[in-house]
Amino acid sequence: MKALALSLVAVALVAGCGSPSSPAATAQAVDNSVPFDQALHDKLPPSVRNTGTLRFVTDASYPPMEQFAPDGRTIVGFEPDLADALGRVLGVKIQMVTGPFQTALDRVADGTYDGVLSAVTDTEEREKKTDFVDYFSAGTSIIVQRGNPSAIAELTNLCGHVVAAEQGTVQADLLHRSQSGCGDRPMQINQYKTNADALLQLRTGRAAAVLNDYPAASYLAEDSRTSNYYQLASGAQYEPGLFGIPVAKGNTQLRDALKGALDKVIASGQYADLLTRWGVSDGAVKNATVNGALTD
Amino acid sequence: MLTDFSQPNRNHVDRRSVRRRRSARRETRSGSRLFATYAVASLLPVGALGLLLLSGTRDDATKQGQDQGKAQAAVIAEMAIAPALDDADLTRGVTAGQRDSLAKATDLALYHGSVLRMRLRNFNGQVIFSDDGSTSGGVPVGDPAFQSASNGTATATLVKDPEAPGGQIIRVLQPIFARASGEAIGVLELYLPYDKIAARLHEQMTVTYRRLGIGLGLLYLAMGLISWSTTRSLRRYAARQEHEALHDGLTGLPNREAFRQRASAAVADRRDGAGGAVVVVDLNRFKEVNDTLGHHAGDELLRVITARLRTALRTEDTAARLGGDEFALILPGLDTPDVRALLERVRAELTREMVLDGVPLTIEASFGVALYPAHGEDVEQLLRHADAAMYQGKRGAADIVVYAGERMAHPTQWLVVQAELRHALERDELVLYYQPKIRLADGAVCGVEALVRWQHPERGLLPPSEFLPAAEQSGLIEPLTTWVLRRALADQREWTAAGRDWTVSVNVSARNLESAEFCPLVVGLIEEFGVAPGRLTMEITETAAVVDVEIARQALRALSALGVGLSIDDFGTGYTSLARLRGVPLTELKIDRTFVDGVLADPENQAIVRSVVTLAHGLGCRVTAEGVETAEVAAWIAESGCDEAQGYLYSRPVPWTDVPMMEEVR
Repeated sequence: MKALALSLVAVALVAGCGSPSSPAATAQAVDNSVPFDQALHDKLPPSVRNTGTLRFVTDASYPPMEQFAPDGRTIVGFEPDLADALGRVLGVKIQMVTGPFQTALDRVADGTYDGVLSAVTDTEEREKKTDFVDYFSAGTSIIVQRGNPSAIAELTNLCGHVVAAEQGTVQADLLHRSQSGCGDRPMQINQYKTNADALLQLRTGRAAAVLNDYPAASYLAEDSRTSNYYQLASGAQYEPGLFGIPVAKGNTQLRDALKGALDKVIASGQYADLLTRWGVSDGAVKNATVNGALTD
Repeated sequence: MLTDFSQPNRNHVDRRSVRRRRSARRETRSGSRLFATYAVASLLPVGALGLLLLSGTRDDATKQGQDQGKAQAAVIAEMAIAPALDDADLTRGVTAGQRDSLAKATDLALYHGSVLRMRLRNFNGQVIFSDDGSTSGGVPVGDPAFQSASNGTATATLVKDPEAPGGQIIRVLQPIFARASGEAIGVLELYLPYDKIAARLHEQMTVTYRRLGIGLGLLYLAMGLISWSTTRSLRRYAARQEHEALHDGLTGLPNREAFRQRASAAVADRRDGAGGAVVVVDLNRFKEVNDTLGHHAGDELLRVITARLRTALRTEDTAARLGGDEFALILPGLDTPDVRALLERVRAELTREMVLDGVPLTIEASFGVALYPAHGEDVEQLLRHADAAMYQGKRGAADIVVYAGERMAHPTQWLVVQAELRHALERDELVLYYQPKIRLADGAVCGVEALVRWQHPERGLLPPSEFLPAAEQSGLIEPLTTWVLRRALADQREWTAAGRDWTVSVNVSARNLESAEFCPLVVGLIEEFGVAPGRLTMEITETAAVVDVEIARQALRALSALGVGLSIDDFGTGYTSLARLRGVPLTELKIDRTFVDGVLADPENQAIVRSVVTLAHGLGCRVTAEGVETAEVAAWIAESGCDEAQGYLYSRPVPWTDVPMMEEVR
C-alpha cells in the first residue's frame, strides 16, 4: 500500500512535469485508494466504533482468495486486501482470524465474529442464518490431477469416484445434490476441515477430483508451484453465485455500513485494482448487493 | 662484458674471462636480489589469497554444517512432529492422544541419539512437549533465534556441550507448519549431534586445504618463474644497454664516454708511480677513402684499422674510437721511449698496405701523445694536449709527436687566435719586417724576405709561429697572405723610389697554392703596383704538406710563367721528395738553418750543403743559406758555392728602412 502510494506520488510528479495544466485530475485518476468516510463510520454499531476493530473469520487455505504467507502466520490474498480497503473507508481495523469454514456462519450468528471473509457463496439456505453483503461472483469448477487420469470432463463423470470437498461449502452441497444422478454408481464424497486437506487427497491420489470455486481452482491449475499436480477438468463453472460477507442478522448497522464501504471501494476503482492484482478480475461485480442469492 | 681485444693471447683471455666472470657474478648477485624481492613481494598476495580462501572455506563449512542441521530439523518437523500434532491448538496444549503420537514418532530417534533433545513450544514459549517430560528450560522467547522461528524462518546454531563428542551440538529452532494450509502453530526446539557432520566437514576441509595448498603453490611457482625470466631478460637488457652506451657500434671499440672513464681510471690507478700515455690517432687519408670508395669502404677501413690496433697493442692497453677517423689509446705503465717504440710498432702495423674493394692503399696515421702525470692528470686536459701534439705532427713531418708543453699551440687556443687575427687584419695591427739576403759574390743586399709580425695589443710583438698555424688551419691564411703581398709590394715601391733594387720574397702557404684565386690575385697585384714580376719571389715552406699536388703544381707553373720567382724554404727538413722538384720551375732553394749552423764542425752537414748546392745548380736555381750567424760560416758557405746568404750575421728582420746597406757592415 505504501509502495503503491509512493509510486502514485512518483507518477503524479512525472505527470505534473508533462502536463502542468491538469495535475490534480491526473493524480485522482491514478490514486484510487478510498479515503476514510466519517458518515459510514458513524453508521457502525457503537460497540465496533468503541473497539475500532472488526473480526472476520476465514479459512486461509483458498488461494488466491486467502492463504498463509511463508511464515505460516500472516494471511494474504484478495480478501485480506479487500478487508483492509473496507477498514480504511470505515475507519476501523479489520482483523482476519483463522477458523473452520463449516462453523463460520454459526460463529457469526452467535456473535463470536463480526463476519466471515472466506469466499462464502451467498445461498438462500445460508441467508436463513445470516445476512450477506455480496462482493464477488463465481461458479464451481472441478479440479483433477494433471493429465486427468480419471478422464473427468463434467459433473456426471464423477460418479463412481472418490471426490473431496471442504466441509460446509456449496461445493459439498453440490456434490450431495448431484449424487442422485449417479444411480447405482454413487460418488464417495469425502469432506475435510480445510480446502488444503481436500486438495491433499487429490494430490496423493486418494481422491479423483476436488470441487472449488473457479478462482481458487484456476489459481491451482496455473500457479507454477501447483500446476504440475492439478488441472481443471473443464472450463465450465457450475451454479454461479455471489460471494458475500455474512453478518449477523439484526446487525443491520454493520451490514449497511459494509455495503456502503464496498460501494465506495468499487466506485473508486481500488476494487478492480485488487482483482487484477490477484488475477480474479473474472469475478467482478458492478456494485455491492445485500442478500443477492440467486434463486434456483 | 667489455671486451677490447679479441686477440688470442692466453694471458689476455684469462684476464678477460676473469673479468667477465667477476662481472657476471656481480650481475647475478644484483639479479638474484631483484628476484628475491619479486619472490617476497609475490608471496604477499599469494599468502593473502590463501588466507582469504581458507577463511572462506571455513565459513562455508560452518554454514554447511548449520544448513545440514536445519535440513534435518525441517524433515523431522514435517514428517514426525506435524503429523502427530494433527489438529492441535498449541496455545491450549496437546491432548493425551497427541502426546502419545508425538512420543511414538520421536522415541526411536531419541533413543538412538539421532536427536539429542527436543522441545515443542507454542509461540508464547511454553514447553508443550519435551523429550524428558520437563516443561522448563529452552531458549528464551526474546532470543532472536526464537523470534525468527516464530516468524517462519528456521535458525541453526552451534552450541557448546562438554558431554557431547566433539564438544559441540547443533541447536535448531524450527517453525512447525502443522497443516496442509501452511499455518504455523509453534516452534520446535531440536538439539542434534554435530560430531558426524563435523567429521565429514573436516574431511572435506582437509581435501580443500590440500587442493588449495597445491594450487597456491603452483601459482606461486608460476609467478616465480615469470619473475625469474623477467628479471633475467631485464638484466640482459641492462647489460646490453650498458655495452651499447659505452661502445662504438661499428668497430665494437669503447666509445668516447668509455674512453674517458677508462682513462680516468688509468690515471688514478697508476701503481708504483709509473705513468702512461694518452694518445690521439688520426688517419690521414680516411676522408679520401670515404669520398672516393664510399662509406662502405670507409667503414671497412675503420674495421681493418681496429683489428690492426688490437694486434699491435698490448693486453693492458685500451683502444677507443672517439668518432670519425679519430682513435685514442691509453698506454699505461710506459715512459716516453717505450711509448715511442710501441707507437712505432702500431704505426708500422697501420701503414701496411691493405686492399679495399680491390684497391690497394696505404693509410698514414698521426699520433699525438700526452703523458700522465707529466702533462696533466685530467683526462680532458690530456686529450687536448695529445690533440695539440697530433696537429703539430700533421703540420710537420713527424707522425708521432709527444706534447712539448704549453708553447705548443693547440686547437682551442687557435680559435681565440683566429678571432683576434681577424680583428688584427681589420685594425691593421700587423707589420712587415724584412731580413736581407746577401749576394755572396759581392756582399751586396740583393733582396729581402718579408716576415710578418703581429703588434698584439696585449701580448706585444708576436712572431709568425704564434699565429700562422692557426691561420693555416682556417681560411684566414688567404686574407693574411693577400695583406702581406700587398704590403710587401707597397714597401718595395717605396724602397725602389729610394733607389734600392731589392727583390722581395713572400712566404706562401700550401693552402694558398691550392686556391684557384691565388694566381689571379698575384697577377692583379703585380699590375696594380706596376712591379716587374721578376722582383717578386714566392717562398714555399717545404714542410707544409701539399694535399692536392696537381693543383699546387699548376699554380706554381702559372706563377713561374708570369716571371715570378719560386723558392723552396727550409729545404732538407721537410719531405719534399725529389720527384716533386721535377717539373716545377724553381728559381731558388733555401738550405735550412739546421744544416748551416753547425756546418764548420760537422762533415755530414758539409756534405749535405755541398750536395744541395750541386742539386740546386743542376736544377738551374740559386742556393741561399739560412741562419748564417758568423763570418766563418759565411766564408765556408761562400766557398762551397752558395749564391746568397741570410742570417743574424747580416741583420735580424727589421722594418725596411732599417735594413742595413751591406757596405756599412763590411
